[in-house]
Amino acid sequence: MHNLGFALDGAWQVLLAGLVLGAGLPIIFALGIRSLAWGAGEASVTGSGVTAPGPRRPIGTVIGYLLFAVVILGVVLGITFIVAGGFGYKLDFSNVFPTLIEK
Amino acid sequence: MILALVVLTALAFDFTNGFHDTANAMATSIATKALRPKTAVALSGVLNLVGAFLSVEVALTVTNAVVKIQDKSGLPKAELLADGGSGLLLIILAGLVGGIVWNLLTWLVGLPSSSSHALFGGLVGATIAGLGWGGVNWNGDGSKLDGVVGKVLLPAVLSPVIAAVVAAVGTWIIFKITSGIAARFTDKGFRWGQIGSASLVSLAHGTNDAQKTMGVITLALIASGHWSDTENIPLWVKVSAALAIALGTYLGGWRIIRTLGKGLTDISPPQGTAAQSGAAAVILASSHLGFALSTTHVATGSVLGSGLGRPGATVRWAVAGRMIAAWMITLPAAGLVGAVMWWVGDMVGGVAGALVVFTLLVIASVAMYLRSRSGRVDSSNVNDDWDAAAETPVAPIPATATN
Repeated sequence: MHNLGFALDGAWQVLLAGLVLGAGLPIIFALGIRSLAWGAGEASVTGSGVTAPGPRRPIGTVIGYLLFAVVILGVVLGITFIVAGGFGYKLDFSNVFPTLIEK
Repeated sequence: MILALVVLTALAFDFTNGFHDTANAMATSIATKALRPKTAVALSGVLNLVGAFLSVEVALTVTNAVVKIQDKSGLPKAELLADGGSGLLLIILAGLVGGIVWNLLTWLVGLPSSSSHALFGGLVGATIAGLGWGGVNWNGDGSKLDGVVGKVLLPAVLSPVIAAVVAAVGTWIIFKITSGIAARFTDKGFRWGQIGSASLVSLAHGTNDAQKTMGVITLALIASGHWSDTENIPLWVKVSAALAIALGTYLGGWRIIRTLGKGLTDISPPQGTAAQSGAAAVILASSHLGFALSTTHVATGSVLGSGLGRPGATVRWAVAGRMIAAWMITLPAAGLVGAVMWWVGDMVGGVAGALVVFTLLVIASVAMYLRSRSGRVDSSNVNDDWDAAAETPVAPIPATATN
């Protein structure tokens, strides 16, 4: 059953990539939402009761949008990946910054 | 003449592939009302169209994964061309019919089953009937993940589990992070999260699945001597396959959307975001690694996972069990239809045989369409409460392999 070996070998890589991108990006997105709400000084429910609405915190808003930008970057990379594959290029991460190289 | 029937049938398969798989991308967005049903299917249709054109890579060797009717460059095996290619065309035709019939039947009972497995099943069945057991690539040659076992069976078992784990982890952490925040932030935020991630799934679907039809049509053209270039696909094939899958997607398989969006578990916007991002990441990562998997299995697994990951959510395991049962019989059932169609076509013989097969397909399709008219599911009632609806005629018929 050589196929089982190949399949398990592929499976854990897919799982790893899936966790980093598929769970990681939404988590960053959720942090962005949390940060935005905090920045707006919104009331929130905690374990010890409801916190009073606070003052506006611009830094929270900025961090929130920064986190959204990270997510959008991730999505753009994902789309580039699909498109590049179709045109005979591939994304290369070997020098940290993603670059397009010919297959 | 036979060639025209094959092309028509291939486009029909592409169409069923589209409407069968709308649910994979859009069921969660429709269920959480992030998008209105009509808007969702329109968006998905357009992205499938775009995706289909992005797939410039030639998928001519698509059948090599499961059957031995082509050589490595994509040219049909010489011994199959002795009779002007009509023997090969009949195998392709019978295989496609097997795929379409199974797609329609699973749509009728509202079960998301893999369109690519239906196609592969039909081709395997038709090949066994036409060339015998040796014509099937069961287990590859040992050098890479290949064959019916490596390209179909193992990924089918592994991919839903992977997708479920990713979505469950994502959902669980998202609920931890956003607990207690005012709903006006989470609702608006995750609405966009859902639309974005669902769009990515649609795009990836167009790129992956339209290619298969393009490959099959081009193979038929080569077999009948109408095309010889294995590096390129005729433009009209690309355009018509892209349009067929987009149109099918836009029509929307509402029955399946309903099962996936409402039946499996009740989805909230954060879950939808986690489920679709998980699905998109798993699909992209695996196509990069050459790990062939079905969009349907991934999407279903991730919806299930988002139900497991959300504190307090329930998963309807009876629905999940029925889906898994349908997945297990997809290959043999589509194969059986494919084999029977080949025998019928071969018995009658020649152009008449192909016509008979095509007519049988039309009769079966019309019958299933008429059957679907009672207990209709469309954009107006796709979101009705699942448990209340179970008493109406929509109640699923047991998924048996009749045809």
